Amino acid sequence: MSQQKFIDSKRVKFWIKKILWRHIIGAFVVSFSLFPLVWMASAAFDVTGQLSTQQLIPLHHGLDNFVQLFSNKEKPFLTWARNSLIIAFSAAALQTAIGALAAYSLSRHRFKGRKLTLTTIIIVQMFPQLLAATTLFLIVNSLGNTFPLLGLGHQLPLILLFGGTALGVNTWMLKGFFDTIPSEIDEAATIDGASHLMIFTKIIIPLAVPVFVVISLLSVIGILNEYLITSVILGLDGKNMTVAVGLQQFIYGQYGKNWGPFAAGALLATVPVLTLFIFLQKYLVSGLVSGSTKG
Amino acid sequence: MRIREFVAHKSKFILSYSFVLLLLIMGARLLQDRSWFLGIFAFISAILIFYVYCIARKVPLKYLLPGVLLLIFFQIYPAVYSGYVAFTNDSNGHQLSKTQAVNAIIDDSLIPVDGIEPISYVVAKVEATKSLVVIFQYPAGTYWAGNSQLLRRLKLSQLEREPDGRVKQASGYVVFNSEQSAAYANELQNIRIKIDDSTSLQPVDIDLMEAFQPSFKYSEIGDILTDLNSGQVYSPNDNGQMVSASGEVLYPGWKVNVGWRNFSSIISDEEVKRPLLAVLLWTFVNAFLVVVLSFLMGLSLALVFNFQHLRSRRFYRTIFIMPMAIPSVLSVLVWAGLFGTETGVIDRLFHISTPWLTDNLWARVAVLIVELWLAFPYMFLICTGAIQAIPNEILEAAEIDGASPLKSFRLIKLPLVMRTIAPLLVSSGAMALNNFGAIYLLTGGGPVFSNSNGNAGATDILISYTYKLAFNSQEGNNYGLASALSILNFILVGAISVYGLRKMKTMEGVN
Repeated sequence: MSQQKFIDSKRVKFWIKKILWRHIIGAFVVSFSLFPLVWMASAAFDVTGQLSTQQLIPLHHGLDNFVQLFSNKEKPFLTWARNSLIIAFSAAALQTAIGALAAYSLSRHRFKGRKLTLTTIIIVQMFPQLLAATTLFLIVNSLGNTFPLLGLGHQLPLILLFGGTALGVNTWMLKGFFDTIPSEIDEAATIDGASHLMIFTKIIIPLAVPVFVVISLLSVIGILNEYLITSVILGLDGKNMTVAVGLQQFIYGQYGKNWGPFAAGALLATVPVLTLFIFLQKYLVSGLVSGSTKG
Repeated sequence: MRIREFVAHKSKFILSYSFVLLLLIMGARLLQDRSWFLGIFAFISAILIFYVYCIARKVPLKYLLPGVLLLIFFQIYPAVYSGYVAFTNDSNGHQLSKTQAVNAIIDDSLIPVDGIEPISYVVAKVEATKSLVVIFQYPAGTYWAGNSQLLRRLKLSQLEREPDGRVKQASGYVVFNSEQSAAYANELQNIRIKIDDSTSLQPVDIDLMEAFQPSFKYSEIGDILTDLNSGQVYSPNDNGQMVSASGEVLYPGWKVNVGWRNFSSIISDEEVKRPLLAVLLWTFVNAFLVVVLSFLMGLSLALVFNFQHLRSRRFYRTIFIMPMAIPSVLSVLVWAGLFGTETGVIDRLFHISTPWLTDNLWARVAVLIVELWLAFPYMFLICTGAIQAIPNEILEAAEIDGASPLKSFRLIKLPLVMRTIAPLLVSSGAMALNNFGAIYLLTGGGPVFSNSNGNAGATDILISYTYKLAFNSQEGNNYGLASALSILNFILVGAISVYGLRKMKTMEGVN
């Protein structure tokens, strides 16, 4: 009995000494990292729709902002969402595929100019692409004169453009991961008569699925975030915009007027990405680190 | 099985051949439309693909080529083109070629011709092509139908006329009455009908045209533009403008090569230089603080919450990394709303009245808070991963040898963590130097410096300042200067990253 008490008090001491302060820090960081999200959600359900009177728990809550968002004919949120989905998923797939192909060759093959390629692809990414916006506009414009489908206002050139940024950090991360797969496996497979393509598709790809998940997820988020080049290529016609461009145009400089519907749209755009992220987060730690350890 | 392999083998060839064919057709179509660069690029790509996949069988290139082609087309070419623009005076009023600029000056100088009375016209549409034309008689008795592109003489037998000679009906045309014509006022304004080398007719009212002649004449001999009224002669200067002997300048100008002038103006031009020093300083301070603060925060959180006896550590990790998952365009815009002075949530929550986005210092603090919020989850994740990757035996051995927790952190954990994430810190630094979105969306670079013509502000970093010079300037966009600055930015960031990566010995470590 006394022994039990002793253990209990030891536990309490341990809890106070080792656990409590971690929870206190945790509470602070949680409120910091959720801060904008919580206020975004609260504004979305606040029917007064005013930034200056907004309360954490809205006094008058309802779905007015959502109704307003969906009924706005000039700002077709659902069309934006569809555009964003098409662009983000096809461009992320293209980026991951191109990155994986390149990373395989950089990890497994030895050829002249290999180190130069690795350095170049990382350096080129540092050229600020937003200043290339005018050139990209001109390129896509004249492509569209000949092939309308590849012109301004269409999604295909934008998807290809994102494919052009695939060789970069992602390729480095994938290469880092491929490097951790022992090359003895390849050698054994080669002796058994496997071609380089078979090694890639039957050995490397299945082993690298967690990393692919991480890279694709980061690509999707990156593409959803891009609004400058996107608005240059797709134009500012309401039906062509993505969620990022549309909502940015919607709120910029008009916080007083459009705060409520903006928050509703932002919340709707955030929830699916967030869900995906939480769902896949177990891959994130291992994926990000395994890719970088052998950098 | 054999057959399947055979088909697989052949299908690779069919795929690459049809892709080559597609690119060749596209190239031909592009050349036909005079898109020389694009057409040639398509041909070169086709040749490269054919060479790599069908002839040479270079295995590494087979995997690299798709990415490399897109990289060249969408990244390297625009960068090189910016390099070219940096050596020109490309800016508002200097974007045309010389011929276009001279023609624009001549077109702008039209004045009515004295000898020709106003001519009345009716508006009509060509029945076959639906194009808009005006029908008029010049000189009396001769009827024409025309617009800027075409001019046709009409036979009298085609026409049905009013007693005063006005056209009522014309076969092959749909003639409008004056009410219907009014709907086309905008199109009519742009109609120019050339009746001889220098004279053109232009609608000045809904039913009247006047004859105009340019007051400028360009002569290729001597490359001069003469004002026919005053006799003043203008000749080109080295900044792509037509200038008279007395220094009077005609607009628009055209694009010319100006050598290193854009670069030298960065150093010598007071208006460019003054804000630039402040902007450069903040660019480095900002990037440094963001990387260091977010790394320290990420590392300490990783150490604190990578504790086995804390059952809720998974929960905390999930919440901590959430900022990564919210599209940052939206979260930064939300932050901008929350930071509003007095009206903003932050001020009301803490009962303060901070000039967040209007005071130089507070705006910088706001930018740092938001950037820290954006950056710490990534640092936390990679530090957690790196700590978990440290073999437990090492830490246990250290404990047995009597190392204090602090010592084991300083001598074992920290060096091992640093080795893993040092290269990631360098790339984070490079990204922070180029972090346009957060700053542009949060403060727009402001508060604006009073001495910078509205282009630079307290939170502007080099890239956002450059962007505003190129696309958002109040005194006319200067693409030449912006390109020169962006090249400088590129060299700066590139050099620091290469130096950093070298220093971290990762370049040597690449194998």
